[in-house]
Amino acid sequence: MRSLDLWSHEIRRAGPAALLAPPVLVLLIVLLVAFGTRLGSREGNTVLFLMTILETGIPLLPGIAAASLIGRDHAVELQLTLPRGYRSTMLRRLAVMVGWTALCALIASALLIVTGWWDLLPAASHGLAGQLAWLSPMLWLTALGLLVAATLRSASAAAAIISFVWLFEQMLAYLFQENQMLRLLHLFATTHGTVPGDWLPNRLTLLATASLLAAAAWPLLGNAERILGGEAA
Amino acid sequence: MRIEISRLTKTYRGGVHALDGLDLDVPTGMYGLLGSNGAGKTTLMRILAGLLKPTSGTVRIGGHDIATADGRLAVQRALGYLPQDLGVYPDLTARQFLDYIALLKGIDSRATRRRRIGELLEVVALTQDADRRLKGFSGGMLRRAGIAQALLADPRLLIVDEPTTGLDPEERIRFRTLLSQLAGDRTVLLSTHIVEDVAQTCRLLAVLTKGRLAFTGDVGGLVSQADHRVWTLTTPGPAPSHGRVVAAVPEGTGMRYRLIAPTAPDPYARPAEPTLEDGYLALMETGR
Amino acid sequence: MIATFRYEFRMQIRRPVLWIVYGLTFAVIVITLNPAYVDLQRSNDRDDPMTAMIVSADLLMSLLPIVYGCLLADRLVRDRRLGVVGVLDATPTAHTTRLIGKYLGTCAATAVPFTLAYFGRAVVYAIVEGEPSALGWAVVVFVTTTVPALLFVGALGLAGPLLMPPMLFQVLFVVYWFWGNLIYPSMMPTLADTILSPNSQYVAYGLLGYTPAPPGPTETHLIIGPDYYTYGGPTPGGASLDFLRPMADAPVALLWIGVMLVLAVFVLSLARLHTTRTES
Repeated sequence: MRSLDLWSHEIRRAGPAALLAPPVLVLLIVLLVAFGTRLGSREGNTVLFLMTILETGIPLLPGIAAASLIGRDHAVELQLTLPRGYRSTMLRRLAVMVGWTALCALIASALLIVTGWWDLLPAASHGLAGQLAWLSPMLWLTALGLLVAATLRSASAAAAIISFVWLFEQMLAYLFQENQMLRLLHLFATTHGTVPGDWLPNRLTLLATASLLAAAAWPLLGNAERILGGEAA
Repeated sequence: MRIEISRLTKTYRGGVHALDGLDLDVPTGMYGLLGSNGAGKTTLMRILAGLLKPTSGTVRIGGHDIATADGRLAVQRALGYLPQDLGVYPDLTARQFLDYIALLKGIDSRATRRRRIGELLEVVALTQDADRRLKGFSGGMLRRAGIAQALLADPRLLIVDEPTTGLDPEERIRFRTLLSQLAGDRTVLLSTHIVEDVAQTCRLLAVLTKGRLAFTGDVGGLVSQADHRVWTLTTPGPAPSHGRVVAAVPEGTGMRYRLIAPTAPDPYARPAEPTLEDGYLALMETGR
Repeated sequence: MIATFRYEFRMQIRRPVLWIVYGLTFAVIVITLNPAYVDLQRSNDRDDPMTAMIVSADLLMSLLPIVYGCLLADRLVRDRRLGVVGVLDATPTAHTTRLIGKYLGTCAATAVPFTLAYFGRAVVYAIVEGEPSALGWAVVVFVTTTVPALLFVGALGLAGPLLMPPMLFQVLFVVYWFWGNLIYPSMMPTLADTILSPNSQYVAYGLLGYTPAPPGPTETHLIIGPDYYTYGGPTPGGASLDFLRPMADAPVALLWIGVMLVLAVFVLSLARLHTTRTES
C-alpha cells in the first residue's frame, strides 16, 4: 500500500506532458502502420519511419527527463532532509518515466510484430533480443542524462547535451558506421544500419556503458550539498 | 534531544568563513538563535539538518554523530525542518502535500497518515483550506503548512529557520504561540534575526556574529549586556553623536530617541530599562 | 531596455555551464568532423575564402543551434522561479521593453561562444591560408546567414518554455530542429530547405553567389543543400511543401532574412500575450 501511494505521488510529479508523450509516439506508430502507405509513403520509407520513432523517439523522452531531474524541484531543500533520501526519490521519478516509456515501446513493438512490419525493419533481431532496438539506446541516453544532470546541476545545460548527442548520432551516423570502435557505441544502429553480426554486440555494449554512466552519477546524486547548490539562477 | 557542537567550521568556495570554530550546546526545550543576516545561522541550520557537511569540527545530535551516514539518517528520522525558503509543489493541495511528505518520512500506513494530517491541519488552523492548491496560499498559510509538514513524524528535534519573516503581526503571534506549545520535551531550535520572536518564546539563546558565537545563555543574560547603557532623550535637535540610536519616535515638536551608549549621551538623557533588543544591539556594538 | 540588455547579458555570460556545454559540443564537432571542419573545403581544388566561411557557418549551424536554444530555455521562466517578477513589474519600465532587452541580452550572450568558435576558425583560416579577406567574408556570412537564424531560434528557445512545460518544450525543440532543418525533403514532408527554415542556404546561394565544388568520391554524406548546384525550387523526385522552396536568388535571400525576423517577432509577441493573460 505504501509503495503504491508513494509511486502515485511520483507519477503526479512527472506531469501530464511527460506522461502523454510516450503514448503520442505509439499513436504516431499506429497511424503510420494504418495509413502510411495509403498516404503515398513508400514501404521502405514507412519502415524507416517506424524504426526511427521506436529507436530514436522513444529514448529521447526519458533522456530529457533524466536531464531535467536536478534544478526544477521546488521543494529540494526540504526533500534533502527527509529520511527517504532524495537520491531514491529522484530515481523513483526516473523509473516512472523509464517504466512508462518502456511499456509504451513494448506495446508499439507488439503492434509491429503482429502486423508484420517488424520483419521488414532493417537489422532488427527477433524475439526478446529484438527489443534491445529501443531499450539499449533508451537506457544509455537516460544514464547519460542522469550523469550530466548530476555533474552540471542545470536542467537546461543537461538537456542541451542530451539533445546534441541525440542529434549528432543521427546526423553523423556514417562516422559511427565507418569506425570499428565507434560502431559499438552507435545509439541508432538499427535505423542507420551496421555491419552484419555487429548489432547485438552494439546493443550489449550500450547496456554495459549505460551502467558505467549510471554508476558515475550515483555518488554525485547522493551529495546533498551538491544537489542543493544546483543552478537555481 | 541534545545538540553538541564542537569547533564547527564551514568554509565555502572562495574562502568565505560562514562558521568559524563554533562551540555550542543546545539542551531540550525552546532555544533561540539570533544573529544578523550573514551571521551563519542558516549555514548552521543546514549542517544540523544534514544538508551541508562541515569543513571541520564535530556535531552530535541525540548522541548521533552527523559526520557518519548512519548518524545523519538517525537524526533525519527524528527531525522536523522548516527551511527559510520553503518550496512547495503549487499544484498540490495542502493535504496532498502533507501526504507526500509523510510518505517520504516513512509513515506508511494510510490510516495513520490521514489521522496525523487531520490533527496537524487542525493545530495549524488550515482544516478549512486543506483541499485548496498551495499556489493559492498566502505567505502565512504556507508557513503554517510548512510547520505542519515539519511535525508529521512527531520529531524530537524541530529546526525552524526564520519562520516569521514576511508574516503579518497576527500571523507572527500565532506562529510564536504554536512554537512555544511544541517545545515540551522536544528540542526546538528557532533561528531568526527578529529579536522579539526570541524574547516571546525562548528562555535560552545564542547570538551568532560573523560565524562565531558572541553570546550564549539565558534571555536575562543578554538583556544585562545593555545594563546602564540604555538612555532616552527627547530633543528638538538631531540625535546625539555619542551613542547608537535604537529608536526615534516623533513627539511634540521634537524627537524621542532611545540610545545605547556607555555613558549618558546628553545631559538631558535619562536611563531606561533595557529590553532584549537593547541587549542584542549592545552586544553587537561591543563586538565591533 | 539597455539596462535590461546589459544585466541579462552579464548574468548569462557568467554561467559556467554555458561555456562547459559549448566547449564540449564544439570539441566533439572539431574532433569528429575532421577533415571537413579542418579543411573547410568540399574538394581539393577550392581555396575560396567565401566558400570556406560559408562551409564553416553551415557546419556549426547544423548542430550548435540546439545547444543555443536549450541554454536559453530557462531564462524567461527563471524570473518567476526566483520570485523577482513582482519587483520587476513594479518598475516603470514597460513589460515589452523589458522583454526585448531580456531577449537581446540573453541571445547575445548565448551566441558569444558560437561567435568565438566561428570567428576563431576564420582567423585560423586567414593565417594558415594567407587569406585575410576571409575575415571580411566571415563577417558578411555571419551577419546575413547566422544572425537572422539565431534571432528566430533564440525567440523560440526563450518563449517556448513559457507556453508549455519545459521538458515538453525541450523534446519538441530538438525534434523540430531535426525534422524542420536537417531531413532531406524527398524523404518526408519537412520544413527543411524552405523559406521557413533557419538552417536553409538561401543567402549563401542567392545573395553570396555560392556554388559548391563537385563532390569528391568519398563525400557521400554531404550536409549542405539537396540539389548540389542550385538551391530551392522543386525537389528532384518531388516533395511536399515545395511551394515553400523558391529558387534561391537575391530577393528570395532577403525574403528569408525578413521571414526569420518576422518569425522572431511573432514568437516573442506570443510570449508577451501569454504573460499579459496570466497576469490579468
